[in-house]
Amino acid sequence: MEKTLVLAIIIQLLIASFSSLLVIGLASLFDPAALDRYSAERTEIGIVGGGEVMKFIEKSQVKPYFYSDLSYALTDFNRNRIDAILVIPPVGAYSSEIIQLVLYLPKSDIKGTLVTLQLKKPLEEYEAFVRDVRSPRIGFKPVRLYVDEAPKKTSTYFEFIYGVLIPLLVFTPVFISGGLIIDMLTEEYERKTMELLRVSPVYFSEILNGKMLAAVIIVPLQALLWLSLVGLNGIEIYNTWGILLLVSIVAAVIVMIGAIIAVKYKDRAISQYLYSLILIPVFLSGYLFADSPFNLVARMSAGSAGAGSLVYFLIYGAVTVPLYIYLKNIQDM
Amino acid sequence: MGLLTISRWELRRTRLSFSRKTLALSLLLIIFTALVSFFVSHSGFRINDGIYSVVVTDPELASVIETDYKFRVYVADGIEAKDLFEHGGFDGGFDILVTGENISYHRSERSTAALDALDKAVIRYDEARLLSYNDLNNTFPVWITVKNLAREQEFKPLSIQKLPDFEATPRTTRSAPVETPIEVTIRDNPHAPSAREVTESRAALPIKEKALSTPSHFNPPIPFKSVVLSFLFIFPVFFIAQFFSASITQERVRRRGELLLVSPVRPYEIVLGKLLPYLLLSLALMGAIAVSIGGNVWMLAILLPVALMFLSTAFLGALIARSFKELTFILVFLSVTLSGYIFLPAMFTNIHAISIISPMTLVVRLLEGEAVTAGEYVFSTLPFYLVSLLILMFGIFIYREEDLFTQKPIKSKLVDSIQVFIERVPAPLFFLSMALLPLVYSIQLIMIVLMFNLPIRYGIIIFILLAAFIEEIVKSAGIYTVFSRKLSTSTTRNALKFGVLAGTGFFIGEKLILLAVIAGIADSVFGSVMGIGLLVFPLMLHVTSTTLASLCLRYFGPGNYMGSLILAAAVHSAYNLYLIRGVLSG
Repeated sequence: MEKTLVLAIIIQLLIASFSSLLVIGLASLFDPAALDRYSAERTEIGIVGGGEVMKFIEKSQVKPYFYSDLSYALTDFNRNRIDAILVIPPVGAYSSEIIQLVLYLPKSDIKGTLVTLQLKKPLEEYEAFVRDVRSPRIGFKPVRLYVDEAPKKTSTYFEFIYGVLIPLLVFTPVFISGGLIIDMLTEEYERKTMELLRVSPVYFSEILNGKMLAAVIIVPLQALLWLSLVGLNGIEIYNTWGILLLVSIVAAVIVMIGAIIAVKYKDRAISQYLYSLILIPVFLSGYLFADSPFNLVARMSAGSAGAGSLVYFLIYGAVTVPLYIYLKNIQDM
Repeated sequence: MGLLTISRWELRRTRLSFSRKTLALSLLLIIFTALVSFFVSHSGFRINDGIYSVVVTDPELASVIETDYKFRVYVADGIEAKDLFEHGGFDGGFDILVTGENISYHRSERSTAALDALDKAVIRYDEARLLSYNDLNNTFPVWITVKNLAREQEFKPLSIQKLPDFEATPRTTRSAPVETPIEVTIRDNPHAPSAREVTESRAALPIKEKALSTPSHFNPPIPFKSVVLSFLFIFPVFFIAQFFSASITQERVRRRGELLLVSPVRPYEIVLGKLLPYLLLSLALMGAIAVSIGGNVWMLAILLPVALMFLSTAFLGALIARSFKELTFILVFLSVTLSGYIFLPAMFTNIHAISIISPMTLVVRLLEGEAVTAGEYVFSTLPFYLVSLLILMFGIFIYREEDLFTQKPIKSKLVDSIQVFIERVPAPLFFLSMALLPLVYSIQLIMIVLMFNLPIRYGIIIFILLAAFIEEIVKSAGIYTVFSRKLSTSTTRNALKFGVLAGTGFFIGEKLILLAVIAGIADSVFGSVMGIGLLVFPLMLHVTSTTLASLCLRYFGPGNYMGSLILAAAVHSAYNLYLIRGVLSG
């Protein structure tokens, strides 16, 4: 038992290190601009043409080099002297034509990504500037809000940590426990020991309960380990006990589902297969509604929800009752 | 002949355990999954719902902010709002107060994040509104056309200059923004969009090609597609591998395989015969998936090594596991590592050349209508082929009664398989370290994938230490087996001889791999650490460090294997660190 637990923790460590690596990938999935945190160097961009947009580019992180002609710029681009080329058309903000910029990027090169990231902000500012000139023509008024000294902080990192990473970390042990109970039960069947134990039905239900309890109890322990690890990294976690309670409730539901499958099918491979098939939609539906366990954990850990979430605990807890009754029924068969 | 008979038996067995009811149920579940994913993709991922709370005085502004699900918005008048903002009262407290048009926020992490999110929400709202004017020239005045040109990557030495490849990107050169079809529903009166419309507006912008965008939609290539694709392909194989390993473990637990073993069928026929139906099934499924998402059957050439890898590792897992529980954990461990190896680099498709170490990148590229060169194919699939063959070979070595039906620890089973290799192959130590090379190569590639995300200076140092350690394990594994199993007398002369043999074998194997893979990363800093580079010094290095480990085993006994390894790895990494000192200091 201890050996499998050690293995379980090693696997989770692996998953965790992978998912922290996924920070880059997923954060860029959320908001590619977040990658900017990883890039301090200034990209060097060849500029062909000029105009109002230069005002914004000169203020930004990129380093402009001017060319009179695209072919000279392309030569330097191919010699790796510049990372990208921006061709600016001779159209001003006050005309009514669309301004078509052309950007040459190196293909399959991280430099291209960096250029995109560093050019995004000045180009957005430029767009806002042109809009300010042109949108009064059609009577558009933007929503304006004012703030003194806005901090330079992006929400992506915060939302990724609390919205994705922490829910994923605390629910991984839940999914593992569901698989664990299937293994524990089907192994008994495979080794035929269950036949002996099943002589007395009361005895069997005790064994079943004991195994399920063990599978559930290890979940909040592992979740606590994760939360404290995240905490050690300087991320503040609110409502730890609430999260652990919620995770235990969900673990009870998942473990019972696993137990039902194992008791019904008795074959390990089939049971594991069905369990994974069930797990996917269950996991996906966690992203369907605002008060799913994932979102509850996100809100609780970020401290933006408190006692109000307890209602949902009761709802999720109630799911265990029919599952348990059903399990009782099929185990007696 | 025996092989096919075994295949037929195996097929019948799995079919029996798969009742009609199970099939119906799994079909039902797959339909249910499809439904759920349809809803998720339709309404968007609901992540971070209600994570921020805002109190505003202007009810109109409240309806603007409410278009973003991340916010919970409360309307209150001036003094009450200020009081709520400063003293909480509501669970979690308020992150932002908007009095009229002026924003106040707290100094907390959440509050500053909320400020940025609010900014984004307002911009999204405005863009959705602008879109309804149906006047691109005045509402979306700036467009960017991106043209990707192939050029040599920076870490390669500059070779022949290529002219910019305009023909390769006809899609992008042709398209001027004005020509793009504009599919905006015409509305007479611009109106305030609802939350749903704001979420959908991103998709509604008339952008048909990713090469063209407005500044706010101007983003680096998003890896989402590669990840979904990898998942799509790996998922069925993962299950099939589960069934394969379960079948083998079941035979071991129920001791049913004993009869087969005493029959005249050879072990390799049994193993390959069992493997065949599963492999064909995976290929059929993958082929069907490939065709259904617009690929062709040629993709199977890329997916075959992936399927082989999953099945062979599952096979090894089934052989060394002592119980189903252990099997589950070994399988999860293996599939997490493998998926990481396949997923992570694929995320960098179109971002970085490193991505071609994953075969999935090639699949993505084929789907995007790009060509894949033979060199790239070899580079990304060769490790998969070699490692799976290697694993199958060593698995077949221990496919015998004493290993199948006993509860030996994992390590001793691995040593068993090496012992069989040593007993059957001439000059075993020389060829063993050569044969294990693909394994080393793959592990090092996985490590490169991992290290690529660290700051390069630390990444390289950690990589050197780990790479040296792994190479030393592989080189001395045979020597350890010889000494611990007493296959030869433990003399200093033997220790020296074994060290030289194993070190030379590894060196020659390494150079052979170099011939196969003169592409991609071979010239990068990581490549030179992998020992691809100079000739004489690496040979001396491999021989010296392995002989060192060998001598340690001779004098301190096989019990001190770990210590010998660490010593050898230290010498090895010291050399490599010296080799790339320029990169580290500069």
